[in-house]
Amino acid sequence: MINRLITPMALQARGLYVELMFQVMGRALQAVSEVDRDVRSEVSALPEGFLFEMMVMPDGSRFIVEHIGNGHLHYHGDNASRPVDLSIQFKHVAHAFLVLSFQEKTSVAFANDRMLVDGDISYAVRMTRVLNRLEAFILPRLIAKRAVKEYPANLNLPKKVLSAARIYLKVANHFVATVRA
Amino acid sequence: MKNSYYEFFCPVKVIAGKAALEHIPYELTGLAAKRPMIITDKGVRAAGLLEPVISACEESGLDIIAIYDDVPPDSSVGVVKDIAGIYRSEKCDSIIAVGGGSAIDTAKAVNILVSEGGDDISVYVGAGVLKRPLKPFFVVPTTAGTGSEVTAVAVISDPAKSVKLPFTSSFLLPNAAIIDPRMTLTLPPHITAATAMDALTHATEAFTCMAKNPLSDAFATAAIKKVSTSLLTVMDNPKDAEARLELAQASTMAGIAFSNSMVGLVHALGHATGALCHLPHGLCMSLYLPYVLEYNLESIRGPLGELLLYLDGPEAYATTPADRRAEASISAIRSLRDALYKHCKLPRTLKETGKVTETQLDRIASIALDDGSIMFNPREVTLADAKAVLKRAWA
Ligand SMILES: [Fe+2]
Repeated sequence: MINRLITPMALQARGLYVELMFQVMGRALQAVSEVDRDVRSEVSALPEGFLFEMMVMPDGSRFIVEHIGNGHLHYHGDNASRPVDLSIQFKHVAHAFLVLSFQEKTSVAFANDRMLVDGDISYAVRMTRVLNRLEAFILPRLIAKRAVKEYPANLNLPKKVLSAARIYLKVANHFVATVRA
Repeated sequence: MKNSYYEFFCPVKVIAGKAALEHIPYELTGLAAKRPMIITDKGVRAAGLLEPVISACEESGLDIIAIYDDVPPDSSVGVVKDIAGIYRSEKCDSIIAVGGGSAIDTAKAVNILVSEGGDDISVYVGAGVLKRPLKPFFVVPTTAGTGSEVTAVAVISDPAKSVKLPFTSSFLLPNAAIIDPRMTLTLPPHITAATAMDALTHATEAFTCMAKNPLSDAFATAAIKKVSTSLLTVMDNPKDAEARLELAQASTMAGIAFSNSMVGLVHALGHATGALCHLPHGLCMSLYLPYVLEYNLESIRGPLGELLLYLDGPEAYATTPADRRAEASISAIRSLRDALYKHCKLPRTLKETGKVTETQLDRIASIALDDGSIMFNPREVTLADAKAVLKRAWA
């Protein structure tokens, strides 16, 4: 009986964690596109108004960002007025949890068939690189090494600390702003 | 590897060896198909490769109802629509593709139209659109390289919009692949060499890239062994049916390997070069394979070293210290390329092709960065990395 009660709670916690991390990632993507030139140059190849979504199948939590021009991303929360252009979909919340708790690299998750791409594969390739760079930026080096395929060589410590601080700040601001609104 | 997970899928019946073509009538009947259509290209017909297929069927009292022999090297939505029209007006009930990558991809796309209806193949673009099995479909490969007979993908160009439309579904896979040594016996030397290098690249990338798994590994290593032991035999003696069959099987096995574990940077660069400079795909593979392995070396030292056993045999493997095996694998591939250059002038560098200019390299690099194959390359490739590999491959 107790087992039965505990398991759903653990599962619920996992779902909440994924939802929270999606919010963090959405906001962090917007923030990193404001502070990092490399991310902007990757993103600027996407059409303006391009909507990118990451979600858990079949209809779990999600976040959507839009390319608003010049490589800048805008976080839209979990819905947008138009159908998205590119969707990266985890097959199950358990797989999203593996990736978002940094037990499995994004690229490995792709390789392991944990997620599907709905949309143009060349855009998915680009967004995966952006996600890798984001993870390298916002996470301590040790965890980031686990999360991304290769730790970027041009991300030396001072820049990383500075940028990470700015991103955290921006994410925090964004959270506060949302709570206020 | 903890947290490891993989999927492996290959439902294609493989019918291989001497007199394999003669099994086609029995297999068709088993699927209640009585009115097959052959889809092929002019080259296959001119090489006299249709006769054995047709007579194998006729001897069993099974008539080929229609033959479309005009598939271009780069098939388009218009061609697919035309063939589907013929299939319908002739009331065919099954498809036999005879040819290389283009004929096979075209036949896959035709099968979508004649099974699902409509004239516009572009509405079925993408992954997971098809939800049910298509018409009975057989593939008889006439090159030993692409592995298209076991891949769940078809690419068709739309010239009006100048885009390539990808179709992905396990329902695109044929019911059977028929590997008969007669089909590749007359393949000219440079095509034999280039397509075999494509197969070798499929197997090598499947074995060294991120989505490798134990089942695809087994197919990959077996394919590499077959290519490394039989390719030069065939180059010396093109009529050696046994060695030809080895290469054909290697191609199918490498196809099974990479369709389950994907390819990497060699293919990303190769696709970009093919699109920009119109070089044959197999040649591009041969050009880039050693340079990409060198670039990936420190990430793939273990698996690449293991491949020495299959590339160069047990003696070389045993006498090479473990920490030198990865380099020795690359050298083995280089010597194979040198031998092919001697045999049929198969270019080893971009410069040797005479079809690429140094000014195109930057463009190739940036196109390659958008290619889906790059996702599974073990190293995260930056634009500068891609340019550096191209520079090494230049001359
Ligand atoms: Fe290939």
